[in-house]
Amino acid sequence: MIRLKIDDNEISVAEGTSVLMAARSLGIEIPTMCYHEGCNNQASCQVCLVKDKNTGRLFPSCEVKAVEGMDIVTGDQEVKAARKAAIELLLSDHVGDCEAPCRVACPAFMNIPVMNRLIAKGDFQGAIRIIKKEIAMPLVLGYICTAPCEKACHRKQVDSPVSICLLKRMVAREDINRSNPFKPDMKANSGKRIAVIGAGPAGLSCAYHLLSEGHCCVLFEKDGKAGGTLRGVHGDNLPEEILDKEIALIESYGAEICLNRRVTNEILDAEIKNNFDAVVLATGHEKEGSFSLQLSNSRKAGAVMVEPGVFACGSVVRPQKMAVKVMAQGKEVAHMVYQYLSGNQPTKRERPFNSRFGRLFTEEIVAYLQETGSDKQEVLTGCSEEFSLEEAMAEAQRCMHCDCRKPDSCKLRLYADEYQADRKKFQFGERKTITKYFQHQQVVFEPAKCIKCGLCLSITSQNGEPTGLSYSGRGFNVQVTVPFHQSLQEALKHSAKKCVEVCPTGALSFKEEG
Amino acid sequence: MDKETIDRVDQIIAEKGKSADQVIPVLQALQSEFNYLSGDVLKRVCQNTDITPARIQGVSTFYSRFRHKPVGKHIIKVCIGTACHVKGAGRIFEVFKRTLNIPEQEDTDADGLFTVEEVACLGCCAIAPVVQIDQVIYGLVESGKVADILDDFLSKENTTPDKEIRTLSEKGLPQGEIRIGLDSCCVAGGNLKVKEELDKVLQKSKINVAVKQVGCVGVCNQVPMMEIHKPGEDTVYYTRIKIHEVREIVQRHFKSVKLLDRVQNRFHHSVERYVFRDIPESARPFLADEVDSPIYEYNKGQVNIATEYLGKMMPSDIDEYKRFEGFEALKDCLTGRTPDEIIDELEVSGLRGRGGAGFPAAKKWRMVNRAASKTKYVICNGDEGDPGAFMDRMLLESFPFRVLEGMIIAAYAVGAGEGIFYIRSEYPLSVKRIREAIARCEQEGLLGENILGTSFSFKVKVFEGAGAFVCGEETALIASLEGRRGVPLMRPPYPAEKGLWNQPTLINNTETLSLVPWIMRNGAGRFNKIGTASSPGTKVFALAGKINRGGLIEVPMGITIRKIVEEIGGGIPNGKRFKAVLIGGPSGGCIPASMADTPIDYEALSGAGAMMGSGGLVVLDETDCMVDIARYFLAFTRDESCGKCTFCRIGTRRMLDLLDKISSGKGRPEDLDTLEQLAVNVKKSSLCGLGQTAPNPVLTTLRYFREEYEAHINGVCPAGKCKDLITYEITSDCIGCTNCVQRCPADAIISRPYQRHEIDPQKCIRCDVCKQICPENAVIIR
Repeated sequence: MIRLKIDDNEISVAEGTSVLMAARSLGIEIPTMCYHEGCNNQASCQVCLVKDKNTGRLFPSCEVKAVEGMDIVTGDQEVKAARKAAIELLLSDHVGDCEAPCRVACPAFMNIPVMNRLIAKGDFQGAIRIIKKEIAMPLVLGYICTAPCEKACHRKQVDSPVSICLLKRMVAREDINRSNPFKPDMKANSGKRIAVIGAGPAGLSCAYHLLSEGHCCVLFEKDGKAGGTLRGVHGDNLPEEILDKEIALIESYGAEICLNRRVTNEILDAEIKNNFDAVVLATGHEKEGSFSLQLSNSRKAGAVMVEPGVFACGSVVRPQKMAVKVMAQGKEVAHMVYQYLSGNQPTKRERPFNSRFGRLFTEEIVAYLQETGSDKQEVLTGCSEEFSLEEAMAEAQRCMHCDCRKPDSCKLRLYADEYQADRKKFQFGERKTITKYFQHQQVVFEPAKCIKCGLCLSITSQNGEPTGLSYSGRGFNVQVTVPFHQSLQEALKHSAKKCVEVCPTGALSFKEEG
Repeated sequence: MDKETIDRVDQIIAEKGKSADQVIPVLQALQSEFNYLSGDVLKRVCQNTDITPARIQGVSTFYSRFRHKPVGKHIIKVCIGTACHVKGAGRIFEVFKRTLNIPEQEDTDADGLFTVEEVACLGCCAIAPVVQIDQVIYGLVESGKVADILDDFLSKENTTPDKEIRTLSEKGLPQGEIRIGLDSCCVAGGNLKVKEELDKVLQKSKINVAVKQVGCVGVCNQVPMMEIHKPGEDTVYYTRIKIHEVREIVQRHFKSVKLLDRVQNRFHHSVERYVFRDIPESARPFLADEVDSPIYEYNKGQVNIATEYLGKMMPSDIDEYKRFEGFEALKDCLTGRTPDEIIDELEVSGLRGRGGAGFPAAKKWRMVNRAASKTKYVICNGDEGDPGAFMDRMLLESFPFRVLEGMIIAAYAVGAGEGIFYIRSEYPLSVKRIREAIARCEQEGLLGENILGTSFSFKVKVFEGAGAFVCGEETALIASLEGRRGVPLMRPPYPAEKGLWNQPTLINNTETLSLVPWIMRNGAGRFNKIGTASSPGTKVFALAGKINRGGLIEVPMGITIRKIVEEIGGGIPNGKRFKAVLIGGPSGGCIPASMADTPIDYEALSGAGAMMGSGGLVVLDETDCMVDIARYFLAFTRDESCGKCTFCRIGTRRMLDLLDKISSGKGRPEDLDTLEQLAVNVKKSSLCGLGQTAPNPVLTTLRYFREEYEAHINGVCPAGKCKDLITYEITSDCIGCTNCVQRCPADAIISRPYQRHEIDPQKCIRCDVCKQICPENAVIIR
């Protein structure tokens, strides 16, 4: 047995045990990318670096065997900084979008490419589920949204962006006209009551998300009708019956709307605060604020807790023009309320780490178009026209699948998030060109996302693939290739599944998700 | 593929063997047969051997010597070794490509006549910059002479049967160089008059020779004197010359075709060192050991152990080697000492591995000796990759028996039955000499079964590298021998425990082994009295760059840098100021002139941020840009990284990106911190020695010349080297001769006969051609 110390814990391990395994047996987690149990792969990624106090040297824990007397540190400043540098170097040579640019541009972070793919398959019910995960009133937004998503769409470089906004409207229209429209999966009744002051876009959105968290929700509206600015500044492009329908839908989920109830500071203090577990102020932009709230130092956030149990969102915090942004803030504040009621400090949710590369090179457009339906569509714009089901499916097929196929299982993304890596830290010079290989029945290969860990090489070799995969070139230009320019189908005859599962990034992924 | 090709492939497989580990020798043979490796040929190999497609793909694309595209009829190799780089090799390469109209991504011209490539080092640092076209070597090349070289080569294309060192006559490339000291005491001694006469003679005879005025030659009592440097010839010194002797001396050296023929084959082992020879009767001859001669100066500080009997032995003559005490140590060891006694002796000598890191040799030997295994190997590491160093080549070529003797003693001491010389493929003569030496030793019973009648048996073979600097790292070297990509492995286990084919393996550098016979013959006590306490003995260096007397030197450890530069090397030419030395090549660093009193030993050099390395020592003067030097080395390590670990693969590239940014004037002050941090991380976290030392040139230049980096950030290259920060302009001295227009490879000058010309800065590639050929010196750099 070998005795050593890891983070000041004494441990004995069998000879030949790696430092990584020894640490794991103590419950100490060390990040790994190029290591996979059972693969005889050599250390390369260096995110598993640890330090031996005796020598002061850093080394990859996955490959170095425990030696008598080692005094290992797995997480001090130096080790963490080195790991972070390794991750940032890998990111500088990892070209791809974790999330599609459209989703990133969407203030509500709606998963647009997934919606598009469901529409393309004709799964409209699946599509509304994706939409309503993030957006309370998609039909309304289908008419009035300024669609920043479409401005970011990569397809714009080919011909014109995918008509995301109209697609969403079409899905929401189909849904609302059904006898049993979509209802979110409500959590069990929490027994908590929340007052939302103002039934404009922010308040309605907030209510929708509070309801799905299982809370009881009462909206206080100063006017005779709910809708706020949706009836005002946004009203020109939005048919009134559409707005009414979608408000009714929110009511059908259990929202109680008290009309003609102007809430003043006094009413708030005297009646509402005492009777509710939390209050959300969503009164919109008012020239002379009726609430004496200290909002000045939180104007940037858009969704804040102004005092314990009292929250604010939307234009009352800072004037907003975009309805989708206001609705996103309503959703955000609902989450903060949820955190508050669970006894936690409410914080703004950070979006997960996102690798992105900007514009496509001309030659990359070809690679991206491989994933689209071939027919170019007559593009519909504005709100005067509607997609038919068939048109919508064809339009959705124009989507180029810019999002990564492994957004949740990519280890590089996971650790980039954990180590708060700066993706631009080492991005100098020209980036690599993206290519995508689709010849394999189940697998897509995107070399620009590869971190050259070699796991797929050892898997193909261990599984006796006659062709398999190999490295080509050396140094910075090393690549994983199929020998003799053969197809991936030839290379991965019976180890495709294993390779995809073990690949730590989205370089190897399944064509069909899930 | 035609039947003939298939048969030839099969024949090569039959000769080289079918096992997977034979992949490199098979590929080498295929390439020398077909000039390149086509997909069809490689597929055939996979069908008929145990070599898998994945292996052949991985290996054939890893080593830089393997080509996958057909090449031109002639191959132009532009040496970009350190010594050539500091003398402008980079622009020479570019001018060749431009002149031949080769697009940026390509390497061969449209007619398939020439392929142009950069090579790491041709080992001809003393006549840098060097270009080799097929078997013809051109020395002292300038970018302005590229067109002349191509004309010359093509005009003699069919008359060149064998290897040749060629210079251009009449116009174009100088045939050689005459150095003449012209500082105050030389002038007082009459050198100025000699110089005037020399100019007259040269002009009259139309002989094209570069005349270089050097500073003090250190032998003031011998003036007037001249040094004649010619590619392919040993340097000759003439002292106390009389005016009427000048003509004779010039004609003797620069007319005789016979002389040229005579020196052809000696080229590879003679250009880099000075030997005293070929003195015309009328001038006073030197003797090499004559006190106060420059030769004496050059040799005075040196101690020859690895290079013992330098210049006195025919390399391939075993009898001569024996006459000079050769194989005496071997006899003594095999018949009179136990392996432990030999290792004890080595331990007392304090010998440290000369490959770079300085690991105690005896410790390594003992590890292999103690390892319990029937099969053990000894490997001589001759994969010298430092661009600007040629110690191993010179030792292998000039002292093949000595290296071999050292290896046999080592094998006996550790109990190895098989030895391998791993020699860089760029050194064909080394391979040849070692093969000859092995054959001779086998005939003499010094190799094979029962050597010298003892029970010890040992056989040796040669393995040619395929072009990968990283294979100098011992685990990568082993990977290469086993037919894999030259990717280093984590140590431990050390090769001494688990090396080639998992057997205990002793890997020693060429120089280390060549020191062994002397130590055994003269005793450890004599060896460890030379040098310093922590670094005993001598070290061989390739002294090159901006130095009056460059060459291969062997000096005692502990000697100061100043002594090497000023006394042995004779100082900096052309009256320039000594700026720094680069020591240890791409793994080492720079040491500024202000620290010239640093002694040469492992610890002192590491302390200064440099490294002993294998022994490259390049001297820089005030015209060298330190950012450019850091960039040069980083470009080398970036290309030579195996590509396995993140820090080396991507880190070296990102450091280079930053240096590119800085040297193009686009850097920002914070880039220096990013660069430094990254360099520290790469040094700390890389898996093998290559990555761990690659940042040294950056870190040391940042440490000693940070103000130069800052100047670049402010848009100024103080040395006027960095292309993006300088412009070429034509002054009013221009007479409108149009020479520059005709020669400009970038068409950046518009023809305006008899008027002042102008350079288009957008088109100009800063190749320096116009400046070199302008008869009026009207081209200036701003």
